[in-house]
Parts: sequence; structure tokens; C-alpha cells
Amino acid sequence: MTTYEDTRGHGVSSSGPGWAVRLLAWVCVLFGLVICGGGVWLLLLGGSWYYALAGAGLIATGILLNHGSMKAVAVYVVVWGLTVLWAFWEVGMDGWALVPRLVAPTVILLLVLPCIPALRRTRSRV
Amino acid sequence: MFATRNDTHARRWLMVTAASVALVAGPMTAIPAAAQDDGAPQTAPEAGEGADASEAQSTEGGNDGAAATEDGTEDETAGDAASEDAGDYAGDSPVEQSISAPFEAGATYEVGSDWPYWGGGPSAQRFSPLDQITPENVGTLERAFVYRTGDMPEGSAEGKYSPEMTPVKHGDDLLMCSAMNILISIDAATGDENWRFDPEVPNEAIPYGASCRGVSLWTDPDKAEGDACATKVIEGTIDARLIAVDAATGEPCEDFGEGGMVDMWEGIGERVPGWYAVTAQPAVVRGVVVTGAQVKDGQAEDAPSGVVRGYDARTGELVWAWDLAAPEEMRDGPPEGEVYTRGTPNMWTAATADEELGYVYLPLGNSAVDYYGSNRSEVENEYATSLVALDATTGEEVWKFQTVRNDVWDYDLGSQATLLDYQGTPAILLPSKQGDIYILDRETGEPLTPVGEITDLPQGDIEPDFVADSQPVSEWHTLRKDPLTERDMWGFTPIDQLWCRIQFRRAEYEGYLTPPSTDPYIQYPGYNGGSDWGSVAIDRDRGLIIANYNDVPNYNYLVPREVADEKGWKSIAERQDADGGSGGGAEGAGDPQVGAPYAIQVNAGWRSGLTGMPCTNPPYGGIRAIDIETGETVWDQPIGTARRNGPFGIPSMLPIRIGTPNNGGSVVTAGGLTFIGAATDNLFRAIETETGKVLWSDVLPAGGQANPIAYEVDGEQYVLISAGGHHFMETPVGDYIIAYKLPSE
Repeated sequence: MTTYEDTRGHGVSSSGPGWAVRLLAWVCVLFGLVICGGGVWLLLLGGSWYYALAGAGLIATGILLNHGSMKAVAVYVVVWGLTVLWAFWEVGMDGWALVPRLVAPTVILLLVLPCIPALRRTRSRV
Repeated sequence: MFATRNDTHARRWLMVTAASVALVAGPMTAIPAAAQDDGAPQTAPEAGEGADASEAQSTEGGNDGAAATEDGTEDETAGDAASEDAGDYAGDSPVEQSISAPFEAGATYEVGSDWPYWGGGPSAQRFSPLDQITPENVGTLERAFVYRTGDMPEGSAEGKYSPEMTPVKHGDDLLMCSAMNILISIDAATGDENWRFDPEVPNEAIPYGASCRGVSLWTDPDKAEGDACATKVIEGTIDARLIAVDAATGEPCEDFGEGGMVDMWEGIGERVPGWYAVTAQPAVVRGVVVTGAQVKDGQAEDAPSGVVRGYDARTGELVWAWDLAAPEEMRDGPPEGEVYTRGTPNMWTAATADEELGYVYLPLGNSAVDYYGSNRSEVENEYATSLVALDATTGEEVWKFQTVRNDVWDYDLGSQATLLDYQGTPAILLPSKQGDIYILDRETGEPLTPVGEITDLPQGDIEPDFVADSQPVSEWHTLRKDPLTERDMWGFTPIDQLWCRIQFRRAEYEGYLTPPSTDPYIQYPGYNGGSDWGSVAIDRDRGLIIANYNDVPNYNYLVPREVADEKGWKSIAERQDADGGSGGGAEGAGDPQVGAPYAIQVNAGWRSGLTGMPCTNPPYGGIRAIDIETGETVWDQPIGTARRNGPFGIPSMLPIRIGTPNNGGSVVTAGGLTFIGAATDNLFRAIETETGKVLWSDVLPAGGQANPIAYEVDGEQYVLISAGGHHFMETPVGDYIIAYKLPSE
């Protein structure tokens, strides 16, 4: 968390979020594009709709993060929450099956949440 | 027609047998040795010729006995049940035995203080009556000794080792072979080497992998203890030699073949090292050494024959050959200038000997080209993937039982069948790679448990006329799980899970037995089983079958000939001309199938290309206890922890029981424990047989892909496993033989 605050504290950029938030933003966009793209392919093959939607949510999170918008957090929390619901709906309490469904999205959540202070400051300046 | 030599042999064995029946009081008297009970193949005049000697000596009783069995009369089966009891299950305490009785009469070595056969006792039940090690004290088990064979891959053998070795224990000695067929005897209590014999097998002989699952013993009834080769240790080598050495000294038996060796390439055709290789120990029945060989899969339709041959245990002479496509013509070997029928289904795994009936049970594989069948002959289709019972003295077929029709999935029968008494009937239990478990009457091959039929199966676009639209299944018990769905896809991250889901949706998949296609298709269970060569064990004290199994799909596609040619896929014969290399790699990964219009690409275990993690949910392997009376599952647990597995090939170190792929069976002891390595976590573990709970484990220095054994020396029980590793299972290769026992007081 300090990383983000330090970044902001140095006032490197007054027109947007710091590099750490931007890095996370681009990671979200990149993974979002892959997951959304693959998800659309899967959808066209008759498969699960989850990945197209989750991928789109991840892209949106990334774009909003890049704009320093607090909405990024809200969007991602919704994506994560729906992911949890979907995962349990799909495989129930099967621990091994939950790993690929929940671990990575939760890691991203744990990276998005610490952005809140930085986003607050960005917002106050915008 | 019957050649003179063979006739002589047949007569000799039958006469000895018949004479012995009169001499030996014991279980064998219940069954006239020469009884040919179902009569089916006995109508040929040749058989009549061969049998008359026995009729003269053993009287009409043989035929009467057979008739009685057919009628299902009680006393015959009771006799069998009794003999089974007296044989493999001679009580819980180890039995001291001496093998001096005429062996041809069916005298067998007993399991107890010894582990005289690859499968334990003569019934191949992988059951030890020893009970010193129990669930209560197994926690204190410690290593008694570690012996190293010294046979490690060198040069071109690198990455091709999969020893899969299980020793036999006879008297004070453990007798074994190494990956490259070095025969070794060590002291069973100390691990000190007694002798070794190196047949100097060259690296280029390595077929799919350098394996020697074990050796067989034969004690010559005409020799006295101390005579040269009174007891022989017999192995088949990967360069296709049958070798017999003196169990006491390791000296080659001069009276066996040429200087203790028989060349099994004879009659096979052009010598292409690695194409024709023996990896399983032979079965010895009534003095006949019966062996098949592994024919490296998927190379060409014009491949070495799957012929199964019987050799005189005393002289190494060919007693008979069973060429399923030409049994009469080839019985004494191929006529001058000819070879055994090319490309026929082979037997690469272990046969089971039945001294009582004089039969040998052969679990056959598929024809040489696994994934395309339209060019196979009718007779190949009749026998492929069947369990076949032969009269071991004549090589004539008694019965057969087919588990897959027109196999295009490489569902070779890989498990050694197990003899048992099933509800009063002498029976044979057969597990398959598809996970089905069948119990058959071993005299007739008739199923004793319900066999169903699945119909309206997809026949695909490649060869719809060949692919069968119905297949047999066991309705008694199967290890096979439900068909896969998209939600069964795994991977480590959402991205590889997504990629696996896309692969799943892109694949042709209509459930079990989806036929091959040029588009990717899913084969589930994959070719590793179900039950593979490790076979199943039987705890008769508790009435349980202990079966470990794989639960892994393959992701395959056929490759049209011109594409395969562009890729440069060549058969082993063609490659030999080019660079002399062979072996390594996963079976089916880029196999050319020369002669067929398609080559085959197999992604064994169907792994995500991204992280190397499997595309389907764990577990990938399990171990199960099945009630032998009802066929119901008593417990079912994943086998193998995640400690050595993880994304990008990084060991996760997690001690969680995830259930890994596994190769190698178990030993079940009267003490209530099941010992098994097999999984890819390199652990050797003791499982409580009644509950499935893992009570003890030890980290092996290499993969434990081998069947363990139990034996006794000086009143102390040992369990032993070889840690040899396995290239295909991706476990580290080693040359360790590790014995365990309780701490001495």
C-alpha cells in the first residue's frame, strides 16, 4: 500500500494515477483482452458466457484505473463477486476446481483494493 | 500339419503330466491334467494326435471331469476351490516349501516367506499372507537396506528409462533384472549382491522405454538341489532374447538355447532394434515358458508379429507358437522363408500361468497400428484386445473374451489377469484400461459377472464401417468415471482454463469411445487406463479388490498421410536407416502408422500448453477397494500428493492428496495394509486396506513406478519396492531397490 502512496506522495503525475496503478491498469486490460477475446470464441463454440463477461469487466476495470477513477474498484468488486457466485454455482465446494476460478481473480482483487487511497487522491485532484 | 518335433513335445509333456497326476497327492488330482474342457479347438485331427498319449495314461477321467464341469456339478468346483485355498492361501503364516515335486504336475511355489512370482503367488493376486506389519506398527517402518543396481541411462538411453521392475524372492535371495536386463541376485535380508549377469543389451534396442518388469523361476524336477541350473531365472530382454541363468550362481544355463539364450527374432522378420522387445516376465506353465513381446506401437501396419510362443523350460526349444492369424500353419514356427503373420495384436504385458488347468491366459493388445483399423484382417479383429486362454502344453486356443470390438483407442489389455475362486467357481479376474473389471470362468471364458452392451455409439467420419456401434461393458464394476463436460476443465489460471474450455468445445467428443477424427478428439479414459500393467490386488481375507487407476483423458487427432510425410514422421524401420535412433517420447505422439491413411498425434494426459497443467480437474488417479462379493465400491481415494507437481513444472511442495497419474500396482498384506508407490509424487505409502487411509509414507529417491512385494527372512517381514523412475510419468530415474522392515528389537 505504501508503494502507491509513495508514488502519489512524490507527485510524479498530477494528471493521473501513479505508475503502479497504471501498471495494474495495463495488466487488467491485457488479461481482459485475452479473456474476453477467448471468451467470445468460447461463446461462439457454445461454451460458457462467463469469460466474455469477466474479460469485459476486466478491460473496464483497467480503463477506469488508467483514468484514475474510483469506479474501477466498484466494477472489479462486482466482477469478483459475480465470479465467486459463478464459481460456486459451477463446481460447488470442489476445492481443486475452485483454484483456477478463484485464485487469480482474488489476487487481482488484492491488487485493486490497495489502489483506493491513490485513486482518492487522484480523484481529489481531477 | 503337426510337425514331428512338436508332436514329440506335446506327448512328452502330457505323459509326464499324466504320470505325475498319479504320483502326486494334492490339488492337481482334482483335475485331470489333459482335460480339454470346452472341446472347441479340440476337434481338429491334429489335436487328437497330440492328445492320445494322455488318453492312454490318464484314462477317460479327463473327459468325464470336463463334462461334469460343464454341467456345473458341485464336486468339481469344490475341488478347485479347495486347491485354491491350499495354493495361494495356505493360511496366514508363511509356509516353508521345497520345490522338489514334479513341476509339470502343477507344483507351484507358494507366496509367504517367498514372493516367487511377479504377481506374488501362482494366482497373481499380489497378496501376501504376512501379517507382522500392521496398521498399528507401520508408523515405525524403517529402511532395512538400499541396493543400487548401477544400471543408469548412458548416452542415447537418456530419457528412455522406465524399469518398472518387481523382483521375486526365493529362499534367501531376491532375483531381479535391471532396465537393460542385467540379471541380479541379492541377499533378501542385507541387500548384498550375490551375482549378476549382464547380457549387454545395446541402447538402440530400447523400444518405447527400457523396461524389465521382472523375471520368472523354474525348478527342474529332474535335477537335484546343487545341480547347475536346478532352478533357473528366466527373463525376456528388450533385444528379444529369452535368457536363463542358474538362480544360485548367475551362470547362463548351457542346456538352454545357445549358451543360455534363445533368439526370439527368429521367424519375426527383419531385425529392427527397438521394434520387437520383451518387457514382461514370461509365464511358466507345466515346464513351458510362455512369452509374447512388445511391438512398438503405431509404427507401421507391416510390423513384427504379435505371435506368442512357448519354449521348453529345460532346453529353450520352441514347443509351440501361437500366431492368431495362422495358428495351425505356424504352430512349429514359420515354414522356411516365411515369418509369423505381420502386425497382429501382441501381448506386451504379463500372462498368467494356471498350473491346475495347464492354461496360460494372455491379455492381448491391439494390432500394430492402433488408431486406424480398416486394413486389419477379420481374424485380427476377432482377437484384438481379448483375453485368450491357451493350452500351455500345446499352444492351442481354449477360449477368448474380447473387451473392445475393433479397437481404435489403443485400449490394449495391460493388466495381468488374476486367478481367484469366485463364488465357488475357479475364475479369472480381468481389469481393463477402460476401467471395466470382468470375472470369467477360467475353464470356459464365460463371464460370471454381468456384461452389458452399450449401443448406438458414434462411428465417426473416418471409417464408419469399421468402428463398432456397440461395445461390451462390465455391469459389475468399472473404474471409469462419467464423461467430461466443459466444467470439468482445469488449468492453473483462468487463462489456461479458458484455453482448455476452448479445446474442449473444439474437440469431437461424444463421451466414452468417441472415434478418431482429423479434428481434435477426446479419448477418455486415456490409453494409460483405467488399470494398466500394475494390475489389481486381492485381499481375500477381507474380500476386497484393491485397484489403483488413472483418470486422465488423451487429446488426439489423426494426421493425414501427406501432412505426416511433410512433418517427416517416419516408422522406426525408416528412422533406423536414417539415424539409427528410436525410443523416447510419449507413445502416440507423432506415430506415423505407415500403411494407414492417417498418422496419429496424442497429447497424453491432455495438458494445457500454457502452464503444462492438466486440462481436466484433479484427481488424475485413484485407488479403490471393491467388495468382491457385490462389486460395490467400499472406499475410493485419490492417490498421490501434489508435492512434486505444479505449474511450469515447478514442484508445489504441497502435501495435499491431489491424485496423480500412476503406474505400478500394489501389494496387499494379511496384516491389513496395502503398500503402493505408483503415483508421480515419489512416495511409497502404506494404506489401511479397510479404510483407504494413508498411515505411513517414505520419500523415494526416484519414481516408484513398480509393483512392490512383501516377504520374510528369519521371522521378519519386509516390504520392498524398486525406485527406478519413469520417463513417461516424468519421475526421476534411479536404480534403487529399497527394503523396509520394523525396527529390530
